[in-house]
Amino acid sequence: MSVMNRKFRFEKRDRQSVLRVVITSLIFTALAFVFCGIVIAAVGFNPLEVYGKMLTKVFLSKKGIEKMIAASLPLMFCGLGVALTFKMNLNNIGAEGQYAIGVIAGGAFVLFGPEIEGPFGILIVALLSFAGGAFWALLCAIPKALWDVNESITTLMLNYIALIILSYLCLGPWKMEGQNVGQTERIPKGLELSDLGNTGISVGLIWGILIAVLIFLAYKYTTDGYQLSVIRYSPSAAKYAGINMKKNILLAMGLSGGLAGLAGFVQYAGVSHRIMEGMPNNAGYTAIVIAYLSRLNPLVVVVVSILFAGLQNSSATVQVMGVPTQIATMIQGTVMLFVIAGDFFQRYKLIVNKEVDA
Amino acid sequence: MKKKLLSLLLVVAMTGALVAGCGSSGSGSTDDKDDSSSAAGETKAVEDLIIGEIQYSVVEDGGWGQAMHEGMLQACENLGIDTSTNLLTMEEISEEDTALVESTVEELVDNGADIIFGCSAGYSTILAEMQEEYPDVVFAQQSNDVYENIIEFQIRGYEGEFLAGYMCALMNEGSNELGFCASMDEASVRTALNSFALGAKYANPDATVQVLWADSWYDLDIESQNAKTLIDNGIKYMGMEASSPAVPQTCEENGAYCVGYNIDMKDSAPGAVMTSFMWNWVPIFEDIMTKTADGTIDISADYYEGGDCAKLADFNEDLVPEDIQAKVNELKEKISSGEVVVYSGELKDDQGNVLVEEGETMSDEDILAQDFFVDNVIGGKK
Repeated sequence: MSVMNRKFRFEKRDRQSVLRVVITSLIFTALAFVFCGIVIAAVGFNPLEVYGKMLTKVFLSKKGIEKMIAASLPLMFCGLGVALTFKMNLNNIGAEGQYAIGVIAGGAFVLFGPEIEGPFGILIVALLSFAGGAFWALLCAIPKALWDVNESITTLMLNYIALIILSYLCLGPWKMEGQNVGQTERIPKGLELSDLGNTGISVGLIWGILIAVLIFLAYKYTTDGYQLSVIRYSPSAAKYAGINMKKNILLAMGLSGGLAGLAGFVQYAGVSHRIMEGMPNNAGYTAIVIAYLSRLNPLVVVVVSILFAGLQNSSATVQVMGVPTQIATMIQGTVMLFVIAGDFFQRYKLIVNKEVDA
Repeated sequence: MKKKLLSLLLVVAMTGALVAGCGSSGSGSTDDKDDSSSAAGETKAVEDLIIGEIQYSVVEDGGWGQAMHEGMLQACENLGIDTSTNLLTMEEISEEDTALVESTVEELVDNGADIIFGCSAGYSTILAEMQEEYPDVVFAQQSNDVYENIIEFQIRGYEGEFLAGYMCALMNEGSNELGFCASMDEASVRTALNSFALGAKYANPDATVQVLWADSWYDLDIESQNAKTLIDNGIKYMGMEASSPAVPQTCEENGAYCVGYNIDMKDSAPGAVMTSFMWNWVPIFEDIMTKTADGTIDISADYYEGGDCAKLADFNEDLVPEDIQAKVNELKEKISSGEVVVYSGELKDDQGNVLVEEGETMSDEDILAQDFFVDNVIGGKK
């Protein structure tokens, strides 16, 4: 007697085509929205109406797009930085703190430095923010390079320290006159990042895109960029090939921290126009998710952070309709989870085979 | 290589689409600014008002947000405003997320909001800037008086905290030591702590208040640890400036007593909460709503209210004896009549400096921006 058995198994794909990655991500994002739609309907709203409003108000209206891009800038810069370290299997969980120190370094100049305004002043502030973030990251990169101290832990711990320093400054010596909240005075007009043409979109977007393109090209055409990915796939092979690990750790972490510092810069110079207690506002952690969703590709980071910021902003749009805020947060979480789950199907294929048992 | 090219093309196409999207819709609308009429002067039936409320947390946070939201609901009910249709509550709008706050204001304006209430002090800078863009909307913000184009409102919370300290010191027979669980070292928190300490001193000149800090606006673990530490050091009665029920619950578990904060916390620890300091925003909200409706609103107004706005909840009859209740009520009358002034001389800080000379009183600006601790506070930060 023979029995037909259906057997499922997963087989690792040798290579993942870009088209497949895009299509799978889209399918799983759509599935996430279907799932949330069921919950929205269960709470008593028409999911199509909710999504329609989100789409038209947040993703397709002029103001919606402006606000979406404004919200995306810190995510984008932190995301680019974090993706850079992930590329060589270094876990920089510290973008949040590096952001804060970048804000402090740049902010000190904005508030107390000599009055240099215009493009030159902006450049100085940006460099200082970059240096601040890079310094904070190097505090973890140096012990990692010299004594192999676990960078996940050190970067995470330093976040708390950085945030407390920022909070101390904003509630203490840097606080705006007459206010009780942790905010500084508005930064000088001459140090603000201007908007693109007559839109409300900060020039920071162009900076972000340029940096993403530069990183992309560096991966493709420079030895340093190539070395990063070799380290990712096989640290021992990298060592054998004579790649200088110490140098690469310092380089990747320093750049990554610097980019997180720049995230602070674009936020206070281009969006909030003042320095605030708790300013990173979890951008450094959201960046980890964004880097992962973008599969560490800097160009994709740009797109994903913009879309993700749109999702965050849609919280206001859905609440006005009466939908609870938790639903908006749930949509963000669900999209993340589904896309990450979809990742599995990109790496493995499902094989259904018929076997005949004797 | 082909695949790489394809990926590049896709990305370019996607970014291109985004940029094109901005460009084409950009030419669409040039609205808002040409309408020069301002908020004041227009009239509307009060029950037709549409009210926007921006909260930094959820409205059922058991603390600040809830006190504000309940005040909003009560004020609307008193004026006949249907809260299910005309009150737009926006929760979890982070003060640090400028883009989100701006989107929120725009959504509210798009939905016809006549008044937008910023329910946490961190919105004021953004709302003051948004007011210029939307002059037809009345912006009201919980904050001290800083801006001319938005209404600011505050409550003289120190009056209620003074009563709380007074009551704790009366209850604390045979001991001079009281405790206080504070959140962040910030002016409004110092105000709560200092006025509690002054109230205690008013009852008992030797009373001291040991403060412990959570260094967080909301942290159940640390608040609970702090309360436990105070109790372990022999303190039986304490005040608090915190948004969670952690302190009352810890007190109840360890046989100590406290005065709740923000809302009536009796339900979370009936065996420990003697009364609670409550923010009562109803009179302020009602006034802003009525005046907006009849067109007499002054958008540079500043509310700084005491009396019933800074009240204590009903006493817990099982814990507070009647004679003490009577004394507290008596003191409340004295504050209302001006016979007792909370911040009056001679007042010294914990470093021995004289803050207010004998016979003088402190200005509102100094009360709001407290950067000192009064002399019977132990553990104030420096």
